[in-house]
Amino acid sequence: MKKIKAINLAMPVSAIILGVIASMLLIALTGVSPLSVLETLLKDGFGLSGKVAPLFMTLGTSTPLMLTGLAAMLGFKVGVFSIAQEGQYVMGAIIAAWLGASLNLPSPIAVPMIMILSMAVAALYGLIPALLKVKLGVNEIISSIMMNNIAAYVLEYLVAFPMRADAGQKAQSAVINRDYWLYQFVYGSRWGISFVIAVVLLIVAYFVIFKTGKGYKVRMVGQNINFASYGGIRSDKVIITTLTTGAAIAGLAGCMEVLGNYHRIMTGFSSGLGFDGLSVAMLGMSHPAGVFIVSILLAGIRQGAQLGLQISLSVPRELGAVLIALVILFVAVSDVYRPALERLLSRKERKNRRKEG
Amino acid sequence: MNIFDIITINVLQSAIRLATPIILAALGAALCNKAGVLNLGIDGFITMSAFVAIVSTYLIRNFTAIGMMHPVLATFLGVLITALFGGLLGLIYAFLKDRFNVDLVVLSIATNMLALEITVYIMRAVFHQSGTWSDSSIVQLPSIELPLISSIPVLGDLLSGYNIIVYLSWIFAVLLIVLMKKTKWGRYITAVGENRDAAVSVGISVTKVRYFALILSGVLSGLAGAFLSVGHLTLFTRDMSAGRGWLGNAAALFGFNNPGGAFAAGLFFGFADALALRLQNVTKIPSYIIQVMPYVLTIVILSIVSYKALRDRRKRKAA
Amino acid sequence: MNAITFENISKYYPSTEVQASDNVSFSIRKGEIHAICGENGAGKSTLMNILFGLERMDSGRILINEEEVTLRNASDALAHGIGMVHQHFKLVPSFTVAESILLGTEEKPFISKKSEVEAVRELSEKYSLPIDPSALIDTLPVGMLQRVEILKMLIRNVEILILDEPTAVLTPNEVGPFLDTLRNLKERGKTIIFISHKLQEVLDASDRITVMRKGKFIGTKESKETNIYELADMMVGRKVLLSVDKKPSVPGETILSVENINVTSSSGLKILDNVSFSVRRGEIYGIAGVSGNGQEALIKAIAGEVQVRSGVIRISGKEVQNLSVEQKRKAGMAYVPEDRVHVGLNVEASLLDNSLLGYEDEKCFKKGMFLDEKKLRERAEKMISDYQIYGSSVDGLVSKLSGGNMQKVVLAREFEHVPDLLIVEQPVRGLDVGSIEFVHKAIIEERDKGTAVLLVSVELDEILSLSDRVGVMYSGSLAGELSGDEINETNIALLMVGKKGGVE
Repeated sequence: MKKIKAINLAMPVSAIILGVIASMLLIALTGVSPLSVLETLLKDGFGLSGKVAPLFMTLGTSTPLMLTGLAAMLGFKVGVFSIAQEGQYVMGAIIAAWLGASLNLPSPIAVPMIMILSMAVAALYGLIPALLKVKLGVNEIISSIMMNNIAAYVLEYLVAFPMRADAGQKAQSAVINRDYWLYQFVYGSRWGISFVIAVVLLIVAYFVIFKTGKGYKVRMVGQNINFASYGGIRSDKVIITTLTTGAAIAGLAGCMEVLGNYHRIMTGFSSGLGFDGLSVAMLGMSHPAGVFIVSILLAGIRQGAQLGLQISLSVPRELGAVLIALVILFVAVSDVYRPALERLLSRKERKNRRKEG
Repeated sequence: MNIFDIITINVLQSAIRLATPIILAALGAALCNKAGVLNLGIDGFITMSAFVAIVSTYLIRNFTAIGMMHPVLATFLGVLITALFGGLLGLIYAFLKDRFNVDLVVLSIATNMLALEITVYIMRAVFHQSGTWSDSSIVQLPSIELPLISSIPVLGDLLSGYNIIVYLSWIFAVLLIVLMKKTKWGRYITAVGENRDAAVSVGISVTKVRYFALILSGVLSGLAGAFLSVGHLTLFTRDMSAGRGWLGNAAALFGFNNPGGAFAAGLFFGFADALALRLQNVTKIPSYIIQVMPYVLTIVILSIVSYKALRDRRKRKAA
Repeated sequence: MNAITFENISKYYPSTEVQASDNVSFSIRKGEIHAICGENGAGKSTLMNILFGLERMDSGRILINEEEVTLRNASDALAHGIGMVHQHFKLVPSFTVAESILLGTEEKPFISKKSEVEAVRELSEKYSLPIDPSALIDTLPVGMLQRVEILKMLIRNVEILILDEPTAVLTPNEVGPFLDTLRNLKERGKTIIFISHKLQEVLDASDRITVMRKGKFIGTKESKETNIYELADMMVGRKVLLSVDKKPSVPGETILSVENINVTSSSGLKILDNVSFSVRRGEIYGIAGVSGNGQEALIKAIAGEVQVRSGVIRISGKEVQNLSVEQKRKAGMAYVPEDRVHVGLNVEASLLDNSLLGYEDEKCFKKGMFLDEKKLRERAEKMISDYQIYGSSVDGLVSKLSGGNMQKVVLAREFEHVPDLLIVEQPVRGLDVGSIEFVHKAIIEERDKGTAVLLVSVELDEILSLSDRVGVMYSGSLAGELSGDEINETNIALLMVGKKGGVE
């Protein structure tokens, strides 16, 4: 039991270590000292100095990651490798931008309404690949990719034509009603009420998954569908409900990015956020606490790369994203070094036992 | 407006050009699907290949004697190196799958993420360029007029005057059609993909089939990438593939994973692209409506095919 | 002359701790039809897989035509003239008959459809096995698929043909012609090895019969000099009966009633043919029979969600044949499935999680909207102590448990609510003597609490020592029902081989 837990923790940790080592080699290309890169990443990703503290900005950036990570995690928990979060995120954002600019209701009514409708539309959008998977056996990865692309084109069309604010250079929608903007704790940091909502949802997810009968069903279907069906759990229903819930959460992420951060949608609104969610869920070991930690970690790396590296060290800001991609790559090929890791752990365990004995 | 005012010979020519990378990707994806190894990393392969093509061409052009004397030859060599590079990516995939049973889906997602970022990173770190990179010394692949065919009216214009990668995509399509339909190896590939045990029980090597499919899909992705960066234009931009690899995956499914079908679907997607561009210029119809069609159609086709398969299974059960 | 000689073949599977082949030695004569009989798990298939190069033996020697050979894979076996037709056909659905037969034998890179069709036609005529070479595999009936598999081997010029349970998939009408095919092949000088547990067929078709039991060689008989009873005895074995203390049953009202149910397989084969019986409160009804005679479908129809073609199943008077598993459980059913590792348990989860299945929506385990973890823990702790489950704590993974302790977890969970109907399927397969005794005692205790118990087992001694009444399955129907003094080895064995008149 202990060994299994150790390997589960050792795997993402070694992927991160390997990713960092590989990134160091890439940094060497620029002639900048890797150590100073690390220092800058930490300072500009997680530091507290400056006009707007980088840590606050990181917490802001981590918000949509937490939510799309949670959405991907729900898929993992029920045994489906879902990558449809991107499209659902975009759909949620579209609804928020549209309603946010057109509604004329007091904000206590409008904001919850916008959120609920965004989630509903995203859930419906997520229902399509879920139904195709469960009822027809269509490969969920292929259908998700298609759905993501369709959402991207719908967005491009909408901001280029019907929702376009002005005929100016950039295709973007009108700014939403000022009253509907979500509160930010530190102005300009993106860190605000949506962060709290995300954290609350993670906590709720933890309790639902691990402490309720519904969550029990989800876990059993994901771990052993034969066992679940034998016990009378309707696995089809559980899979569809779980994936749709994930879709609603991804939609909420898009919605809150519009309400709390961008206040409009524009061309290229989603730049791979869905895949980021997948990375977060994988690295976070499909656990809400893991998702929380990894979201902040990845957001910090990205933030640090964006703010610090390019400006103060002239290391390309893509290094942050490269580092994250490398870590995922090392997760993907973990089968290669997993046996070695297991041997190492069991040797340590044996040594410890000998010491105790 | 007459339909022929919209679909001119220029539109058809640009359709063929736009279709070329999609066709190359689709042929590779179809082959992999037939062999039972889902390769979803093709999009990333293409982006990395596009980068390798322009970098290797640049290096040969400026730092080798041959390249300095024959600029066009440098580009050809760059394309060749990129094809080999793509093959290497496929080889790595095959090795990881065969030796360690690595999950190719997860690996592909990582590959696609990495491809997008690492190309831009190196572009900035090494060549100190942001956004796009091009070098005036690089010469694009020349257009080749096919003898005889080019003199045929209309058809000559349609079938001739492209660069070598376009012709290669046709040649590969024909070769793969022949391979799958007429040779024993095609039969082996199908057997491995459809029923691995059946293949193993008669001594067919699953390993060889997988290596072949993944390596060839890599080579084809390499050509697709080279086509984008040194084939038509000579530049590299962020996300050079722009989803063409995924379109290739879709086209393969659209064409029932047969090379002929994948070719036709790739051509159709290319045509949709060209038409979208054209309509944007001459009409007010938004191009997005046409550009989104391949994805919608793929979902529809997938659903229909799966529904039919399911119904057949049920029918047999009821019988 | 012997075509094949097995010498001291042994094979052990560490993962399942099964000695699948235990020092097996016997030989097969050239040009005979040699049947290998035995229960499921007797080691027949393992031995044949070793012969065909699909499995490696731990020790022993195989001689082909009196010469020792090494068989590393199927190609090795084919090169030595050994071919095998598997129980589950290894065919590619989208291929034609000709393509399937010739797959892997093509000499030239390019394929000529015409000459391939011609070659297959010639082959099918040569062996008098008519078939349409251009038909698609996907559209053929099972009997034809089997013919394709046989032709596939014949075109490779095999001299020795292994057939694994060839008649299991055939309809009764197809069996006769199939046995003719075997005789026909024998006349052409081929050696045939055919695995089966259908004794009548074996006696009809073979020259000699080898019986295996639990990985061991029991004996080889000339078909002409033996009979169905002797073979059944050899297969089942006279085992020392485990003594189980059991009071006479006091049956109450009918809980489970099965009325004329029929089930058909996906290929149209009749699996259950008008089966009817009932189980009363406070009795153990044993379903005996050689495995593969419809028991699996019967259980699936009662405890799972397999649709019956016709007939009615009632639990405590309620019609359940169209209900979901959840609803059947609500009606008072509990079920201990045969496969505890993949179905009965989620071995990747904790004992606590495993103890909860089927009760996750029960009000009494809830505290507000959450599961009452304290209560569930106490319940799981109680299960551990009541059922003497050793090897793991409440939070420990079930995969760490031994087979016997795993089964105890299943029993503890399924017995929890004192079910009205308890279905137990092969409850002691693979367990050690101590666990067997424990499990049997627990089942009898359930009976004494007033539960109606349906026990399905292919182990004769288990049926004998536990059942108050016995139904014997043969070929998809109930061959007979026994109660009281009628329940003895001879009567059951007779019904097991389809001799309806066996009971006086």
